[in-house]
Amino acid sequence: MAVAKLEQLEQSVASDPSMLTGAYPTEDWMDVPAEFYSGNFAFPAKVNIVEYLDSQKGLHFPNAREWSPEQDDWKLPEDWKDIILNGLKERLDKFRSLKIFMDCCVRCGACADKCHFYLGTGDPKNMPVLRAELLRSVYRNDFTLGGKILGKMAGNREMTIGVLKEWFMYSYQCTECRRCSVFCPYGIDTAEVTIIMRELLHLVGVGINWILEPVSNSNRTGNHMGLQPHTFKDNVEFLTDDIESLTGVKIEPTFNRKGAEILFITPSADVFAEPGLYTAMGYLILFEHLGLDYTWSTYASEGGNFGLFTNNESMKKLNAKMYAEAERLGVRYILGGECGHMWRVLHQYMDTMNGPADFLEVPKSPITGTVFQNCASTKMVHVSEFTADLIRHNKLKLDKSRNDYLTVTYHDSCNTARAMGLMEEPRYILKHVVNNFHEMPENTIREQTFCCGSGTGLNTDEIMELRMRSGLPRANAVKYVEDKHGVNMLSCVCAIDRATLTSLMNYWNPNVGVSGITELVGNAIVLDGETRGELDEGLRTMVF
Amino acid sequence: MKLAQVLNSKGDKIIDKWVTFTLKTYQSSGFFIKERDAFANPVGGQVRSILTQLLPLLLEGRGKDSYRLPLQHLMRIRAVQDFTPSQAIAPLNAVKHIVRESLGGAQRVRELESELYDFEFAVDLAVLSAFDLYTECRHQLHEIRVAELKTGTSILTDSPCPSKKLQAVEKISK
Repeated sequence: MAVAKLEQLEQSVASDPSMLTGAYPTEDWMDVPAEFYSGNFAFPAKVNIVEYLDSQKGLHFPNAREWSPEQDDWKLPEDWKDIILNGLKERLDKFRSLKIFMDCCVRCGACADKCHFYLGTGDPKNMPVLRAELLRSVYRNDFTLGGKILGKMAGNREMTIGVLKEWFMYSYQCTECRRCSVFCPYGIDTAEVTIIMRELLHLVGVGINWILEPVSNSNRTGNHMGLQPHTFKDNVEFLTDDIESLTGVKIEPTFNRKGAEILFITPSADVFAEPGLYTAMGYLILFEHLGLDYTWSTYASEGGNFGLFTNNESMKKLNAKMYAEAERLGVRYILGGECGHMWRVLHQYMDTMNGPADFLEVPKSPITGTVFQNCASTKMVHVSEFTADLIRHNKLKLDKSRNDYLTVTYHDSCNTARAMGLMEEPRYILKHVVNNFHEMPENTIREQTFCCGSGTGLNTDEIMELRMRSGLPRANAVKYVEDKHGVNMLSCVCAIDRATLTSLMNYWNPNVGVSGITELVGNAIVLDGETRGELDEGLRTMVF
Repeated sequence: MKLAQVLNSKGDKIIDKWVTFTLKTYQSSGFFIKERDAFANPVGGQVRSILTQLLPLLLEGRGKDSYRLPLQHLMRIRAVQDFTPSQAIAPLNAVKHIVRESLGGAQRVRELESELYDFEFAVDLAVLSAFDLYTECRHQLHEIRVAELKTGTSILTDSPCPSKKLQAVEKISK
């Protein structure tokens, strides 16, 4: 009898509708439709946003309309199928990498269990190989002879509305973090497959608001938040007021100053949202300490580039804006703040799209004289590279005991680790500004780092559960160092991380905070003339 | 022979069955069961570690509060994985059936009936604890949403561009 009861229980657990697609699959993956319900999709882009973007020079966002993923009819244009297939053809001709990625996968499965979405959900369509297969199956069917002859028998399929819906579901359950690519023996960049699926969907007016509104805001006012110049300036000045309350030192940064040596660009979230604010305070303290000849820009007021999550045209335009401003101001080079995907755009796409930036000089530290040859083409140096070099030359007056209230670990942000190889500098800095530092397990850091779970514009609250489960592999490793070493601060060099890891930690490890590296640097710097008292929580201390 | 002795000798098998049963609620149960690196397979690793901690506590009948700590993380995982509340909690119940099955026959079950009653009562308490924890997790998710609004993260998209706002004000004043 007992066995029968166990079977009955098993039935109720395993056979009832469950998991992301709304049903436990008993069929072949191709026969399991994507099902949308409140909470498993990000809201579609607002009509006025898509219309605005479509009206802008160099951008193409057709078919703006009201639609909802929950409704059967997505109100697609009549010729949607031709648009998609022609769009795919155009991209196969244009991007050689895409053609290779479509052809060379042998389905070895090395990537299958490396995706944080897969590890958090168990949904097979979150295996990178299968996610790419969503596009590859259509590619083979329409663009290869074998596919035309063998059809479904060889895993090929026609483009249908069901396939399109599947693309929407799973291209927005990928953060383009590229962890899978580290393990691919053929070097397939699965993130670029996601990028293409998203590009194609935009051609038929299918996109999400959390991404397109920041793109629109960046295009209009220069930053994701849509902050106008005076607001941006005010916000930075509020931070200098806070620094004065904490340290007694009044910092007076300049904005849009022509002839400055360096243009500093960071994600706008750093000057507007917690806990990035404290990282921005760190930048201000660091530059004051050095007496750096730099300026902020209220036009190039955004390091982030949500164009990367949209299409190549938007990415190119938003990247070009930073360089146009550098040229207008006549600076020598650009110093970039703690951002993730800004650096991926810089290192992987910028030169092809807008480079080389010949009107700028190769970055050279005015303090140490170090020439950053790694930025010889982009002319943009990372603040962690810049800071590590300063520490190496003993140019910073640091009191690392000021960070003794923290036990810190370091989260390698996907883009800085895997797209620019920035792995040693942040660790070198941390070793000089904190006394208590512990690494997370080896297979969760450096090039194998796990994504925060909410990158590529998925950090919106309507999909909170999805974000929490895809962030589980990262949170799981943080839990380990929290339990073992009492870690209470997760540091990182990415603005999206600072926002999303905060929510992730609030859920999984509520005693762990999130900070930027430069916040910890700023807290450890001993400024000339400071009258700083005991600050129990560093730059976060409330002073009345 | 006492129930504890029987289960001590079969403890590993019971845990294996319980873990397998729990992980079979996932579509990719094969991988979740097989991969033993807790960082490469956080769901499988955590489920195994939590159920291994929980079984002795249940056998000793430690009481509801003692089950909370190990169950907390399990419920945190299952509360965000698109299970219904009953699906999220149901695998805990399975241990009752797995233990009875492992005793190997009606005769043995009758002999240990009173101890089985205590054990199953402990499982019931754990299930009730899990229900509390599941609800707490869901509540926590809503609080996190509110926290995101308060810290300004939502301003990324949920506020109009200031120039757009000014246009709206001008329209109204006209």
